[in-house]
Amino acid sequence: MGPLIPMGIIPDQWNSVMAVLIGVAFGFVLESSGFSSSRKIVGLFYGYDFTVLRVFFTAAVTTAVGLAYFSYVGWIDMSLAYIHPTYLTAAIVGGLIMGLGFITGGFCPGTSLCAVAIGKIDGIIFTIGLMLGIFIFSEGYPVWEGLYNGNYLGSVKVTESLGISDNLFIFLFAVMALAAFYVTSLIGRRIKEVNY
Amino acid sequence: MSRTYILLTIVAILGAAVLVFLPEKKNQKELDPEKLLMEINNSSRYLSTDLVAHRLIEKDPSILLVDVRPAAQYGEYALPGAINIPLEQVLLIDNEGYLNRNDLEIVLYSNGDLWADQAWILCARRGYKNLYVLKGGLNHWFESIMQPKSPSPGSPSQDFDMYSFRLAASQYFGGGANIETNTENSTENVIIKRREKKSVTAGGC
Repeated sequence: MGPLIPMGIIPDQWNSVMAVLIGVAFGFVLESSGFSSSRKIVGLFYGYDFTVLRVFFTAAVTTAVGLAYFSYVGWIDMSLAYIHPTYLTAAIVGGLIMGLGFITGGFCPGTSLCAVAIGKIDGIIFTIGLMLGIFIFSEGYPVWEGLYNGNYLGSVKVTESLGISDNLFIFLFAVMALAAFYVTSLIGRRIKEVNY
Repeated sequence: MSRTYILLTIVAILGAAVLVFLPEKKNQKELDPEKLLMEINNSSRYLSTDLVAHRLIEKDPSILLVDVRPAAQYGEYALPGAINIPLEQVLLIDNEGYLNRNDLEIVLYSNGDLWADQAWILCARRGYKNLYVLKGGLNHWFESIMQPKSPSPGSPSQDFDMYSFRLAASQYFGGGANIETNTENSTENVIIKRREKKSVTAGGC
Protein backbone atom coordinates (compact mmCIF):
# COMPACT_ATOMS: atom_id res chain seq x y z
CA MET A 1 0.00 0.00 0.00
CA GLY A 2 2.92 2.37 0.52
CA PRO A 3 4.63 4.65 -0.30
CA LEU A 4 1.56 6.70 0.48
CA ILE A 5 1.95 9.62 -1.92
CA PRO A 6 3.18 7.80 -5.07
CA MET A 7 0.43 5.21 -4.59
CA GLY A 8 -2.15 7.96 -4.44
CA ILE A 9 -3.37 7.12 -0.93
CA ILE A 10 -2.40 10.62 0.09
CA PRO A 11 -3.03 13.08 -2.77
CA ASP A 12 -0.02 14.64 -4.45
CA GLN A 13 -1.00 18.08 -3.24
CA TRP A 14 -0.20 17.05 0.32
CA ASN A 15 3.43 16.56 -0.60
CA SER A 16 4.58 19.95 0.69
CA VAL A 17 2.37 19.76 3.75
CA MET A 18 3.85 16.39 4.66
CA ALA A 19 7.33 17.78 4.04
CA VAL A 20 6.66 20.61 6.48
CA LEU A 21 5.27 18.23 9.13
CA ILE A 22 8.20 15.82 8.78
CA GLY A 23 10.59 18.78 8.81
CA VAL A 24 9.10 20.03 12.06
CA ALA A 25 9.39 16.56 13.60
CA PHE A 26 12.97 16.29 12.38
CA GLY A 27 13.83 19.68 13.87
CA PHE A 28 12.25 18.60 17.14
CA VAL A 29 14.35 15.43 17.27
CA LEU A 30 17.52 17.36 16.43
CA GLU A 31 16.83 19.90 19.15
CA SER A 32 15.87 17.33 21.76
CA SER A 33 19.03 15.34 20.99
CA GLY A 34 20.98 18.51 21.78
CA PHE A 35 22.11 19.08 18.22
CA SER A 36 21.51 22.79 18.33
CA SER A 37 24.74 23.01 20.31
CA SER A 38 27.78 23.18 18.06
CA ARG A 39 29.98 21.81 20.84
CA LYS A 40 27.96 18.62 20.90
CA ILE A 41 28.21 18.22 17.15
CA VAL A 42 31.95 18.75 16.84
CA GLY A 43 32.40 16.51 19.89
CA LEU A 44 32.38 13.56 17.52
CA PHE A 45 35.35 15.00 15.62
CA TYR A 46 37.37 15.81 18.73
CA GLY A 47 36.32 12.63 20.46
CA TYR A 48 34.48 13.75 23.59
CA ASP A 49 30.83 13.33 22.64
CA PHE A 50 29.39 10.62 20.44
CA THR A 51 25.72 11.56 20.49
CA VAL A 52 25.75 12.48 16.78
CA LEU A 53 27.06 9.09 15.81
CA ARG A 54 24.55 7.29 18.02
CA VAL A 55 21.53 9.28 16.92
CA PHE A 56 22.23 8.94 13.22
CA PHE A 57 23.27 5.31 13.35
CA THR A 58 20.16 4.50 15.40
CA ALA A 59 17.96 6.40 12.95
CA ALA A 60 19.50 4.64 9.94
CA VAL A 61 19.33 1.14 11.45
CA THR A 62 15.77 1.58 12.71
CA THR A 63 14.57 2.90 9.36
CA ALA A 64 16.39 0.27 7.33
CA VAL A 65 15.16 -2.64 9.45
CA GLY A 66 11.64 -1.21 9.57
CA LEU A 67 11.44 -0.63 5.83
CA ALA A 68 12.85 -4.09 5.10
CA TYR A 69 10.07 -5.69 7.14
CA PHE A 70 7.43 -3.40 5.66
CA SER A 71 8.61 -4.39 2.23
CA TYR A 72 8.63 -8.07 3.18
CA VAL A 73 5.03 -8.09 4.34
CA GLY A 74 4.04 -5.98 1.35
CA TRP A 75 3.17 -2.71 3.07
CA ILE A 76 5.54 -0.72 0.95
CA ASP A 77 6.74 -1.06 -2.62
CA MET A 78 10.41 -0.16 -2.37
CA SER A 79 10.73 0.06 -6.14
CA LEU A 80 8.68 3.27 -5.91
CA ALA A 81 10.85 4.81 -3.22
CA TYR A 82 12.95 7.76 -4.25
CA ILE A 83 16.65 6.96 -4.52
CA HIS A 84 18.89 9.96 -4.60
CA PRO A 85 21.02 9.92 -7.77
CA THR A 86 24.78 9.68 -7.31
CA TYR A 87 27.08 12.30 -8.76
CA LEU A 88 30.40 10.94 -7.62
CA THR A 89 32.61 13.99 -8.12
CA ALA A 90 30.10 16.32 -6.54
CA ALA A 91 29.60 13.92 -3.64
CA ILE A 92 33.31 13.76 -2.87
CA VAL A 93 34.06 17.47 -3.31
CA GLY A 94 30.81 18.49 -1.62
CA GLY A 95 31.51 16.05 1.21
CA LEU A 96 34.90 17.62 1.81
CA ILE A 97 33.47 21.15 1.80
CA MET A 98 30.60 20.14 4.05
CA GLY A 99 32.94 18.34 6.45
CA LEU A 100 35.18 21.39 6.65
CA GLY A 101 32.19 23.65 7.29
CA PHE A 102 30.92 21.16 9.84
CA ILE A 103 34.09 21.35 11.93
CA THR A 104 34.79 25.06 11.57
CA GLY A 105 31.18 26.19 11.93
CA GLY A 106 29.98 23.50 14.29
CA PHE A 107 26.70 22.90 12.49
CA CYS A 108 25.27 21.07 9.57
CA PRO A 109 22.55 22.89 7.62
CA GLY A 110 19.67 21.32 9.56
CA THR A 111 21.11 21.84 13.01
CA SER A 112 22.10 25.43 12.20
CA LEU A 113 18.42 26.18 11.60
CA CYS A 114 17.58 24.51 14.93
CA ALA A 115 20.14 26.80 16.55
CA VAL A 116 18.56 29.81 14.83
CA ALA A 117 15.18 28.72 16.13
CA ILE A 118 16.40 28.87 19.73
CA GLY A 119 18.21 32.15 19.11
CA LYS A 120 21.86 31.13 19.05
CA ILE A 121 24.05 33.84 17.57
CA ASP A 122 26.61 31.42 16.09
CA GLY A 123 23.75 29.60 14.43
CA ILE A 124 22.51 32.83 12.87
CA ILE A 125 25.99 33.70 11.56
CA PHE A 126 26.33 30.14 10.21
CA THR A 127 22.99 30.40 8.39
CA ILE A 128 24.01 33.72 6.82
CA GLY A 129 27.16 32.00 5.61
CA LEU A 130 25.03 29.14 4.31
CA MET A 131 22.87 31.53 2.30
CA LEU A 132 25.99 33.25 1.00
CA GLY A 133 27.33 29.88 -0.11
CA ILE A 134 24.08 29.05 -1.89
CA PHE A 135 24.18 32.45 -3.59
CA ILE A 136 27.77 32.01 -4.76
CA PHE A 137 27.03 28.48 -5.96
CA SER A 138 23.93 29.54 -7.88
CA GLU A 139 25.51 32.61 -9.47
CA GLY A 140 28.68 30.77 -10.40
CA TYR A 141 26.87 27.65 -11.57
CA PRO A 142 28.30 27.73 -15.13
CA VAL A 143 31.82 27.64 -13.63
CA TRP A 144 31.29 24.41 -11.65
CA GLU A 145 28.65 22.83 -13.79
CA GLY A 146 31.11 20.16 -14.99
CA LEU A 147 32.15 19.40 -11.44
CA TYR A 148 28.54 19.33 -10.29
CA ASN A 149 27.44 16.82 -12.95
CA GLY A 150 30.67 14.83 -13.07
CA ASN A 151 30.70 11.03 -12.84
CA TYR A 152 26.96 10.61 -12.82
CA LEU A 153 26.12 7.06 -11.77
CA GLY A 154 22.33 7.29 -11.75
CA SER A 155 20.13 6.18 -8.88
CA VAL A 156 22.34 3.35 -7.71
CA LYS A 157 22.00 1.62 -4.39
CA VAL A 158 25.06 0.66 -2.40
CA THR A 159 23.92 -2.98 -2.48
CA GLU A 160 23.81 -2.89 -6.28
CA SER A 161 27.40 -1.71 -6.53
CA LEU A 162 28.53 -4.22 -3.89
CA GLY A 163 26.47 -7.02 -5.37
CA ILE A 164 24.97 -8.23 -2.10
CA SER A 165 21.36 -8.49 -1.01
CA ASP A 166 19.67 -5.55 0.69
CA ASN A 167 18.92 -7.53 3.82
CA LEU A 168 22.48 -8.75 4.23
CA PHE A 169 23.69 -5.18 3.94
CA ILE A 170 21.21 -4.02 6.57
CA PHE A 171 22.46 -6.72 8.93
CA LEU A 172 26.11 -5.81 8.34
CA PHE A 173 25.22 -2.17 8.84
CA ALA A 174 23.50 -2.96 12.14
CA VAL A 175 26.54 -4.93 13.29
CA MET A 176 28.72 -1.99 12.32
CA ALA A 177 26.47 0.33 14.33
CA LEU A 178 26.65 -1.99 17.33
CA ALA A 179 30.45 -2.06 17.12
CA ALA A 180 30.51 1.73 16.88
CA PHE A 181 28.22 2.04 19.92
CA TYR A 182 30.43 -0.31 21.90
CA VAL A 183 33.73 1.35 20.98
CA THR A 184 32.40 4.85 21.65
CA SER A 185 31.00 3.77 25.01
CA LEU A 186 34.46 2.45 25.93
CA ILE A 187 36.01 5.77 24.95
CA GLY A 188 33.21 7.62 26.71
CA ARG A 189 34.11 5.97 29.99
CA ARG A 190 37.72 7.09 29.83
CA ILE A 191 37.18 10.76 29.18
CA LYS A 192 35.98 13.48 31.49
CA GLU A 193 32.37 14.39 31.10
CA VAL A 194 31.94 17.70 29.32
CA ASN A 195 29.12 19.97 30.37
CA TYR A 196 27.77 22.54 27.99
CA MET B 1 24.23 2.82 29.80
CA SER B 2 20.62 2.24 30.66
CA ARG B 3 18.96 -1.12 30.43
CA THR B 4 16.33 0.07 27.93
CA TYR B 5 19.04 1.30 25.64
CA ILE B 6 20.72 -2.10 25.61
CA LEU B 7 17.38 -3.86 25.16
CA LEU B 8 16.42 -1.69 22.17
CA THR B 9 19.83 -2.26 20.61
CA ILE B 10 19.37 -6.00 20.94
CA VAL B 11 15.93 -5.75 19.32
CA ALA B 12 17.37 -3.85 16.37
CA ILE B 13 20.23 -6.29 15.91
CA LEU B 14 17.97 -9.33 16.17
CA GLY B 15 15.55 -7.75 13.72
CA ALA B 16 18.38 -7.19 11.27
CA ALA B 17 19.72 -10.72 11.80
CA VAL B 18 16.35 -12.32 11.09
CA LEU B 19 16.16 -10.34 7.84
CA VAL B 20 19.18 -12.20 6.48
CA PHE B 21 17.45 -15.54 6.94
CA LEU B 22 14.07 -14.51 5.58
CA PRO B 23 13.24 -16.57 2.52
CA GLU B 24 13.23 -14.73 -0.79
CA LYS B 25 9.83 -13.45 -1.53
CA LYS B 26 8.51 -12.11 -4.75
CA ASN B 27 6.83 -8.91 -3.91
CA GLN B 28 5.56 -8.36 -7.41
CA LYS B 29 2.04 -7.09 -7.47
CA GLU B 30 0.19 -9.02 -10.10
CA LEU B 31 -3.40 -8.98 -11.05
CA ASP B 32 -5.12 -12.13 -9.93
CA PRO B 33 -5.99 -14.51 -12.79
CA GLU B 34 -9.77 -14.21 -12.54
CA LYS B 35 -9.70 -10.45 -12.66
CA LEU B 36 -7.33 -10.62 -15.59
CA LEU B 37 -9.63 -12.96 -17.48
CA MET B 38 -12.51 -10.59 -16.86
CA GLU B 39 -10.50 -7.70 -18.22
CA ILE B 40 -9.36 -9.69 -21.24
CA ASN B 41 -12.97 -10.45 -22.12
CA ASN B 42 -13.91 -6.84 -21.72
CA SER B 43 -13.59 -5.19 -25.10
CA SER B 44 -13.64 -1.66 -23.74
CA ARG B 45 -9.87 -1.57 -24.06
CA TYR B 46 -10.18 -1.22 -27.83
CA LEU B 47 -10.17 2.24 -29.29
CA SER B 48 -11.27 2.69 -32.87
CA THR B 49 -8.92 4.24 -35.41
CA ASP B 50 -11.44 7.07 -35.92
CA LEU B 51 -11.42 7.94 -32.24
CA VAL B 52 -7.65 7.90 -32.05
CA ALA B 53 -7.37 9.96 -35.24
CA HIS B 54 -9.83 12.45 -33.84
CA ARG B 55 -7.86 12.81 -30.62
CA LEU B 56 -4.57 13.13 -32.47
CA ILE B 57 -5.98 15.88 -34.66
CA GLU B 58 -7.27 17.69 -31.61
CA LYS B 59 -3.79 17.35 -30.11
CA ASP B 60 -5.27 15.76 -27.02
CA PRO B 61 -2.47 15.83 -24.46
CA SER B 62 -3.92 13.01 -22.37
CA ILE B 63 -3.13 10.29 -24.88
CA LEU B 64 0.21 8.54 -25.38
CA LEU B 65 0.67 6.24 -28.35
CA VAL B 66 3.04 3.34 -27.82
CA ASP B 67 4.33 1.43 -30.82
CA VAL B 68 5.12 -2.15 -29.73
CA ARG B 69 6.64 -3.22 -33.05
CA PRO B 70 10.40 -3.72 -33.45
CA ALA B 71 12.46 -0.55 -33.73
CA ALA B 72 13.14 -1.08 -37.46
CA GLN B 73 9.44 -1.05 -38.29
CA TYR B 74 8.91 1.91 -36.04
CA GLY B 75 11.66 3.72 -37.93
CA GLU B 76 9.88 3.14 -41.23
CA TYR B 77 6.54 4.45 -40.15
CA ALA B 78 4.89 5.42 -36.91
CA LEU B 79 1.87 7.35 -35.86
CA PRO B 80 2.62 10.97 -35.00
CA GLY B 81 3.80 11.38 -31.42
CA ALA B 82 4.15 7.65 -30.82
CA ILE B 83 7.01 6.29 -28.78
CA ASN B 84 8.57 2.92 -29.48
CA ILE B 85 8.64 0.17 -26.87
CA PRO B 86 9.10 -3.17 -28.67
CA LEU B 87 7.03 -6.01 -27.25
CA GLU B 88 10.02 -7.80 -25.72
CA GLN B 89 10.97 -4.67 -23.81
CA VAL B 90 7.54 -3.96 -22.36
CA LEU B 91 8.46 -5.36 -18.96
CA LEU B 92 11.76 -3.50 -18.63
CA ILE B 93 11.79 -1.40 -15.52
CA ASP B 94 12.95 1.61 -17.56
CA ASN B 95 9.70 1.55 -19.47
CA GLU B 96 7.46 1.51 -16.43
CA GLY B 97 7.54 5.30 -16.37
CA TYR B 98 5.83 5.38 -19.78
CA LEU B 99 3.38 2.53 -19.40
CA ASN B 100 2.24 2.86 -15.82
CA ARG B 101 0.63 6.27 -15.78
CA ASN B 102 -2.29 7.71 -13.96
CA ASP B 103 -2.31 10.91 -15.96
CA LEU B 104 -2.23 9.53 -19.51
CA GLU B 105 -4.19 7.06 -21.55
CA ILE B 106 -1.72 4.66 -23.09
CA VAL B 107 -2.74 3.40 -26.53
CA LEU B 108 -0.77 0.37 -27.64
CA TYR B 109 -0.61 -0.47 -31.32
CA SER B 110 1.13 -2.83 -33.68
CA ASN B 111 0.50 -3.85 -37.29
CA GLY B 112 -2.54 -5.84 -36.31
CA ASP B 113 -4.09 -6.44 -32.91
CA LEU B 114 -1.94 -9.32 -31.77
CA TRP B 115 1.26 -7.79 -30.44
CA ALA B 116 -0.54 -4.83 -28.97
CA ASP B 117 -2.92 -7.20 -27.21
CA GLN B 118 -0.03 -9.26 -25.87
CA ALA B 119 1.64 -6.12 -24.57
CA TRP B 120 -1.69 -5.11 -23.07
CA ILE B 121 -1.99 -8.41 -21.18
CA LEU B 122 1.57 -8.18 -19.87
CA CYS B 123 1.00 -4.65 -18.63
CA ALA B 124 -2.45 -5.40 -17.23
CA ARG B 125 -0.97 -8.27 -15.25
CA ARG B 126 1.54 -5.88 -13.80
CA GLY B 127 -1.43 -3.86 -12.62
CA TYR B 128 -0.92 -0.87 -14.93
CA LYS B 129 -3.96 1.29 -15.46
CA ASN B 130 -5.35 3.31 -18.37
CA LEU B 131 -4.22 0.92 -21.07
CA TYR B 132 -5.89 0.73 -24.48
CA VAL B 133 -5.32 -1.04 -27.74
CA LEU B 134 -5.77 0.47 -31.18
CA LYS B 135 -8.41 -1.75 -32.76
CA GLY B 136 -7.11 -3.30 -35.95
CA GLY B 137 -3.69 -1.76 -35.56
CA LEU B 138 -1.85 0.06 -38.31
CA ASN B 139 -3.37 -2.14 -41.02
CA HIS B 140 -6.81 -0.92 -40.15
CA TRP B 141 -5.41 2.58 -39.70
CA PHE B 142 -4.35 2.57 -43.35
CA GLU B 143 -7.62 1.10 -44.54
CA SER B 144 -9.82 3.47 -42.61
CA ILE B 145 -7.90 6.69 -42.14
CA MET B 146 -5.19 6.90 -44.76
CA GLN B 147 -7.11 5.43 -47.69
CA PRO B 148 -10.79 5.62 -46.82
CA LYS B 149 -13.26 4.08 -49.25
CA SER B 150 -16.29 6.00 -50.28
CA PRO B 151 -19.50 4.43 -48.96
CA SER B 152 -21.86 3.01 -51.52
CA PRO B 153 -24.76 5.26 -52.55
CA GLY B 154 -27.74 4.65 -50.35
CA SER B 155 -25.68 4.12 -47.18
CA PRO B 156 -26.90 5.85 -44.05
CA SER B 157 -25.82 9.45 -43.67
CA GLN B 158 -23.55 8.57 -40.73
CA ASP B 159 -21.37 6.64 -43.15
CA PHE B 160 -20.94 9.73 -45.28
CA ASP B 161 -20.17 11.84 -42.24
CA MET B 162 -17.56 9.33 -41.23
CA TYR B 163 -16.18 9.26 -44.74
CA SER B 164 -15.78 13.02 -44.85
CA PHE B 165 -14.07 12.93 -41.45
CA ARG B 166 -11.73 10.22 -42.67
CA LEU B 167 -10.93 12.18 -45.83
CA ALA B 168 -10.03 15.20 -43.75
CA ALA B 169 -8.05 13.05 -41.35
CA SER B 170 -6.27 11.44 -44.27
CA GLN B 171 -5.16 14.85 -45.49
CA TYR B 172 -4.11 15.79 -41.97
CA PHE B 173 -1.97 12.69 -41.55
CA GLY B 174 -0.60 12.96 -45.06
CA GLY B 175 -2.38 9.94 -46.46
CA GLY B 176 -2.96 9.23 -50.14
CA ALA B 177 -6.69 9.76 -50.35
CA ASN B 178 -7.67 12.13 -53.14
CA ILE B 179 -4.44 14.03 -52.92
CA GLU B 180 -2.12 13.12 -55.70
CA THR B 181 0.69 15.44 -54.76
CA ASN B 182 1.08 14.07 -51.30
CA THR B 183 1.44 10.35 -51.56
CA GLU B 184 4.32 9.95 -49.18
CA ASN B 185 3.54 8.85 -45.70
CA SER B 186 5.02 11.36 -43.37
CA THR B 187 7.24 9.90 -40.77
CA GLU B 188 7.59 12.53 -38.21
CA ASN B 189 10.78 12.56 -36.34
CA VAL B 190 9.75 11.80 -32.83
CA ILE B 191 12.06 12.77 -30.08
CA ILE B 192 11.63 10.40 -27.22
CA LYS B 193 11.80 12.14 -23.94
CA ARG B 194 12.58 9.92 -21.03
CA ARG B 195 10.27 10.77 -18.23
CA GLU B 196 12.35 11.92 -15.34
CA LYS B 197 11.63 10.33 -12.03
CA LYS B 198 9.63 12.71 -9.97
CA SER B 199 12.30 14.61 -8.16
CA VAL B 200 11.68 14.84 -4.52
CA THR B 201 13.14 17.73 -2.64
CA ALA B 202 16.46 16.36 -1.57
CA GLY B 203 17.67 17.00 1.91
CA GLY B 204 20.57 16.25 4.13
CA CYS B 205 20.62 16.68 7.81
